[in-house]
Parts: sequence; C-alpha cells; structure tokens
Amino acid sequence: MSLIQLDGLAKSYTIYQKQEGLKASLAGLFSREYRTVEAVRGIDLQVEQGEFVAFLGPNGAGKTTTLKLLSGVITPTAGTAKVLGFVPWRRENAYRRRFALVMGQKNQLWWDLPAQESFRLHQQIYRIDAQSFAATRDELVDLLDVRGLLTQPVRELSLGERMKMELIAALLHSPEVLFLDEPTIGLDVVAQHNIQKFLKHYQEFRKITILLTSHYMKDIAALCRRVVVIAKGQIVYDGSLSGIIDQFSSHKVLTLQFANDTMPSDLARYGDVLEIAEPKVTLKVDRNVIADVLSAVLANHTLEDVSVEDPPLEEVIAEVFSQSQSSSPSAAAGAGQGGQETISDVSSA
Amino acid sequence: MTAHILTWWTILRICLEERLVYRGDFALGTLMRFMPIVTQIFLWTAIFAAAGQTEIAGYTRDNFVAYYLLTMVSRAFSSMPSLASGIALQIRNGEIKKFLIQPIDMIGFLLLSRIAHKLVYYAVAWAPFALVFFLCRSFFTHGWPAPEILAAYVGSLVMAFLLGFFLESLIGMIGFWFLEVSSLLFVYMLFNFFFSGHMFPLDMLPAPWDTVVQLIPLQYLAYFPAAVFLGKIQGPELVQGLCVQAGWVIALIVANRVAFACGVRRYSGYGG
Amino acid sequence: MTGLVAYVRVFLTFARNSLVRDMTFRSNFMIESISSLSWMLMNLGFYVLIFSYTQNIGQGTDAWDKYQFFVFISTTMFVNSLVQAFFMPNAEEFSELIRTGGLDFALLKPIDTQFLISLHRVSWSSLSNFGFAVLLMAYALTHLDYTPSWFQVLAYPFYVLLGVAIMYSLMISLAATSIWLGRNQSLYNFWFYITNFSRYPMEIYRGPLGTPLRHFFTYLIPVLVVINVPARLLAKPLLPDYGYLALFALAATLASLVASRWIFTQALLSYRSASS
Repeated sequence: MSLIQLDGLAKSYTIYQKQEGLKASLAGLFSREYRTVEAVRGIDLQVEQGEFVAFLGPNGAGKTTTLKLLSGVITPTAGTAKVLGFVPWRRENAYRRRFALVMGQKNQLWWDLPAQESFRLHQQIYRIDAQSFAATRDELVDLLDVRGLLTQPVRELSLGERMKMELIAALLHSPEVLFLDEPTIGLDVVAQHNIQKFLKHYQEFRKITILLTSHYMKDIAALCRRVVVIAKGQIVYDGSLSGIIDQFSSHKVLTLQFANDTMPSDLARYGDVLEIAEPKVTLKVDRNVIADVLSAVLANHTLEDVSVEDPPLEEVIAEVFSQSQSSSPSAAAGAGQGGQETISDVSSA
Repeated sequence: MTAHILTWWTILRICLEERLVYRGDFALGTLMRFMPIVTQIFLWTAIFAAAGQTEIAGYTRDNFVAYYLLTMVSRAFSSMPSLASGIALQIRNGEIKKFLIQPIDMIGFLLLSRIAHKLVYYAVAWAPFALVFFLCRSFFTHGWPAPEILAAYVGSLVMAFLLGFFLESLIGMIGFWFLEVSSLLFVYMLFNFFFSGHMFPLDMLPAPWDTVVQLIPLQYLAYFPAAVFLGKIQGPELVQGLCVQAGWVIALIVANRVAFACGVRRYSGYGG
Repeated sequence: MTGLVAYVRVFLTFARNSLVRDMTFRSNFMIESISSLSWMLMNLGFYVLIFSYTQNIGQGTDAWDKYQFFVFISTTMFVNSLVQAFFMPNAEEFSELIRTGGLDFALLKPIDTQFLISLHRVSWSSLSNFGFAVLLMAYALTHLDYTPSWFQVLAYPFYVLLGVAIMYSLMISLAATSIWLGRNQSLYNFWFYITNFSRYPMEIYRGPLGTPLRHFFTYLIPVLVVINVPARLLAKPLLPDYGYLALFALAATLASLVASRWIFTQALLSYRSASS
C-alpha cells in the first residue's frame, strides 16, 4: 500500500449559472439554471513515502480540487483515497495531526497579530508539547531566516515573509505529508528561490512526502523528480519532467549551418522553417522522419554545423495544455494563460 | 447628451443586475423587517393597560402603532446600508482611483446605484409593505390624510432619502482623513436610531431633549414624515418643516462636494 | 479529561490573542466600548421615558414595575454582552470564512470545527456592557420591594448562562445557513428581529395573536426563555406555576444545543460537497 493512494477519485459540483442581462437576472429570482462542473474525473495515483510530486496543469484543471480532496476539506462524488492509511474526508483528528496544507493565495495567520501568537495557537490546537514546539519553531525560523520578524504583526510583512510564516505555521506539528498549493504565487524571483531552497532542504532532511501544485516551471524543475500533468480533471502524464518531451512533443528542432553560402531555397521540403539567419536556419521536423530528413540534407548540401534538439519544455507543456483543452473554448483561454505564464517565467531566468 | 444618459442607464442596469443575484437575502430581509413592529404593538398595549389612560403624550395606542409603521416607511427611504462603509473601503483599498481616472462623478454614481438599490428593494418590498398596512389599517384611526398632506408626506420621504444618502456619504468620505470609519459609523447609527424617532415619537421627549432634536437633521429621517402623515404637523409648521428639511439637503450636498474635493486633493497629494 | 483541558487552553489562547489584538487598536477599543455603552443608555432612556408616563408595564401579577423592569433590562444586558463578546464576532466572520474559503483551514485542524469557528475571536470591548449591567442591577436590587432568597441569587447566574447557550445555538444555526444561502447580509437582521422578541417580558404577548406567538417563541424557538426566566427568577417572588418554566428552560437549552450542533454539521457537509 502506498502512502497516498487514489483510485478513480472524482469530484463534480453544481454552480449557479448567472445569465446575462437584466431580464434574465429578474428571472433568476424565481428559477435558476445550474451547471455541473466536473472538477476531477477519475484520478488514479500512488505516491510513496518521501516523494516530492508536482501537479502541473492549466487553471481549472483540478489540481487544487485534488489537494482539497486529499486534505479532507471536500468530499468526492466517486472513488476512494487513502493518505497515511486514513480516508481524508472523515477528518479524523489522528489524520489531521499528521498533514498540513499551505495555500499561497490564502492566509491562515491572524492578520493583526505577530506571527508568533498564531504559532502559539497552533501549538495548543495541535497539542504540541512545549519543548518540541520551541525546538521545531526555532529550527524553522532559523532555516527561513525570519527571527527578527516574529514580533511584527503579520499585516506588516511582505508577501514573501508572510509565506515563510505560513510555512512555519504549517510545519510546526512536523507533518508527514505536506500539500502545497501554489506556494510561490505572486512572489518575486528572490523570494521564490528562498522558498524553493527551503522546501528542498526540508524535504531531503525530513524525508516527508510533498505534493505541490505550481504554475512556475522553475519551482517544479528545482524540486520535483516526478511530475503529474492534470488537464480537464484527468491525469494525462505521470513521470519525470524531461519525459514529458518524449511523450508529448511531436517534433524536434533541427539547426543547420550551411557552408560557403550554399543556402538552398527549397528548405520547406525538409520541415517547417522557424527562422532563417543566413547561413543558419532552424527547422521544425516531425520526430518520425528526422533520420530521413537528416540524411537527405547531408546528401544534398554541404554543412558547416548541424544540431538536433528537443523543443523547449515550456513550449511542449503549453502545447499539451492547449491540446487537452481545445474542446472547451472557455477553458482554452485558461490554458493559454497558463502556458504564457510558464513561458514568460522560464524566459526570465 | 444621449451618450450621457446611456452611460448612466448602463450603470443603473448593472447595479440592478448585481442586486438581483442574491435572492435568498431578499426574501428573508423584507419579511423580517416587520417583526419589531409586532413586539411594539404588544409592548404599548401592555403600557396602556397599566397606565389606565387612553392617551400618552397625545398618542393613543393605535397612534403609536401607526407611528411605528410609518417610521418603517421613512426608514425604507432614508436608511443606506453599507454606503458609508463602502466608500471608506474604496478609499482604503484604492478602488476610489477609478472615479479619478474614469469620466464619472463619484457622488453621482453612488447616488444612482443607491437609487437602483432602492428601486429593486421597493420592487420586491412593496408587496409585504402593502400587506402589512392592509392588515394594520385599523390602527390608522383617521383614515387617509388630505391630498395636500399626502403630497407633503411624499415630498418629505424623497427628501428623507436624499438626506440619508448625503449624510452617510459624508461620513464615508471621512475615510479620506481617517482610515477607520466603521466605529464612527456605528456611533452615527446609534444616534440615528434614537434621534430619528425610530424608537419612539420624538415629541414625547421632555426638555431639554426636545430642543436638541430640533437642532439636528436626524428627525427628518423617520419622525418628521411619519408625524406629517399622522397630521401632527400642520399648516405653517408643516411648510416650515419642509423648508428646513430642504435646507438640510442643500447644505449636505454642498458639504459633500467640498469634502470630496478636499478629500481627492489630499488623496492625490499622498500619491494614493 | 485531557481533551477538555486542551480545549480550555485553546480557548485561553483565543482570548489572549484577541486581547493582544484589541490592545493594538486601543482607540478603536475605546470607541466600541463607549458606543455600546451609549446604546445601553439609549435603551434605558427609552424605558425611563416610558416609566415617566406609567407606573407599570402589564397588569396584576404580570405587572413589572420600574425596578423590576430594570432587573429585566440588566439581565438582557448580561446575556447580550456575553453573546456579543464570545460568539457574535465569530458568527459574523463565519459567512466571511465561507466566502473567502478560509473555512478550509478550520476544517484541517485537529480540533472540533464548531468549537474553532464559534470561539476563535473574543470581543473584549463588549464586556464593558457587562460592567454597566452590574451597576444597573445593583441599583435595581436595592430599590426592589422585596429581597430575593439565596437560592434565587445563586440560580440567577446559572440561568443567565443557559440563556446565553440558547442565544448561541440560534446564532450559530443562523450563521451556518449562510453556507446554503451564499452571501447572507440578512443574517444579522434576522438575528436582531428574532432576539427582539426576547427583550420584553413574555406576559405582554397575550390575546388571539399574542398567545400563539408566546408559545411559538417559548416552545419552538425558545428565545423568550432566555431573558424572562432568569429576570423573573430574581425580580419577583418564586411562584410554583413558574417553576415549570424554569425546568423547561433547562430542557430547551439542551435541545437548542443539540439542534444547533446538527444544523452546523449538516451545513458543513454541504459545504464540503459544494465547494470547489
């Protein structure tokens, strides 16, 4: 039995469909149309102790819903899940003492109080004895370098500092399983890096199991060996980050540098021309025919240099997202957005 | 000009839509509004039974009940839920900027959305109001007042709406100077409840309170329209009352303009 | 037992944190105290005004004279200040928690969710009314025509607490409905209107409409019991036919607590299956 085991987990819910226009709003007083949204449609997943798994997917793919299901905040419509041998949505105290959930967009510390007061409250709620509380807190505070901020009201902290405090609060009871939902959202590059560094260190040191959702490829590349791609509520990929390319990219990028100005004019017959900067040309070539194309090029032209590369990862992922979403127009916009964020983020590196 | 009207119409429509989305609130809210009247009827019945008189301070028991019912109508016009706190919040979170950027006058916009708010409210609330007044018609021992009194009553109600609006928006704009307006607002609401005559007819008050009440505008929010309807204020006194009420409205409009101008200057001075 | 101790410690931390918070906004704290005190004074002023026109409210054995009624008013203040200090801010925040999804965090904690939601904030400023009520009560008791027995004096605080428990049950039930109704601004109004009935002696509800109303708010939604039972216990000599009402208050409290627990649990269930 794996530490986390999901079988056919599904969650759908109904939402009120707001109609456009005044007349429809008036009509909405008397009868309403509801729409069923299938947030998660049958997920099977096993995670072993000590794994650091990333959930990757466009907005609305079902990542957060899955995390909420696993933390027992919501109940599924179908399927089963076990975490640490517990059914999460039974919300047994024994389970709730052993995991933590951190949401980058939500804040669970007392806004007007110094973070240390919230920590003390957590100590009482999780019934942590005074000694191990002090030890854990000091360790985390030093690791994240926030000792000087403990006595400052949370509302006066920067977003990055607040996130660090949220992490400390979540880890005070030394959870064995940690769910992280967009922990670096909205943070600047330095703050993101600090959080990543901390998570990596903490996970390696404590050997805890972490499930993370993120939009930022850098988070995932830095932290997770295993990536689960979710789109439209289903798992479309489960494996290593680099494996995504092998599975999803339909083409390779071929760069040719021609010798002594013998640039041919009929390049299009080898593949899609991406860029021409004489005497260099970049082509997009179908994976299946790359060998044939290469030998044809070599037979017909004199080359100075040649390289065959995989397309950039973020491009492949954006493609995966948009493919899986193309059937529903509204979601495709979300996928595009997700893809763009990924691209801009990586290119800023 | 048409473009102008169209803009305002669009704003009004959007506000109406927004308000119609939450129907649960609506049903509960209008129904519950009349509950306190019921206890007032019983309370005054018990008081009159014990006092052994037919009149207290010039009011019979039926007069009292009619008075409370009428203050409900006044309040339906003059109360402005979450207007001031909304303005203060917009100032605090910087949303106010949109009124500085877009070619829309803030006070005008708020007044319009409040009218929309009220229209939607009346569209639903007229039915329970009519029902309650029909059931309680026996408390109105004098029947309908004369047409000119009725006209004065309607006028005083409209002015009560304007007075309530400009009073609250003025308090909201204090947010330009102080971040925390909510407690101040709470104090205002307390005094409003007491000194507008919602709790009891203001002419019951002994000296020196009766003069205090005359000097502040709060009585025009609830007591004055109700007293006009009941014929407590008539003739030259009525004309004078309406004039003073109109005077207050004008004074508050001016105060609002000044406060907004100063507030915006201060706000942009700080760089938002 | 260790469980109970742990809950008490969590509550003390809530109370302490709230005090720290209130003290960082000291001027606000002062304004809140003063404004709720002035509200009390205005209420009192209304009844002083009424008693300037009449000797009693109600007739015969049901009559409440001025000082008896002051006992009644101070009982109202005791109950209200306790409810406002411990439960009101939480119930108000509850619908906010639902809207913002902050309820998720409450569900994660290894502690009873209703306990966490109901008590995590204490509004210390509301207790200033409590102090005022003590003064008013002392004044009223020294002017009463008769002296209550020791039993009455001892039973009084117990029944005040029962009243608080009934009010709490009603409040948390109402707050829980915001899970179903979405945004619920009327919640506060609804609460105000219902508890409005509790603020008067139950004897005033008589006649063809009053009697069913009295029964409704005594037996179905027992808000009339909240103030009337303790106030009457202290302000008037004990009568045997009144004893049954005191017993009923005990049962009503238990029933209210159980019912509110059930409503809260049901509401949470539907939150957990409806939320995204």
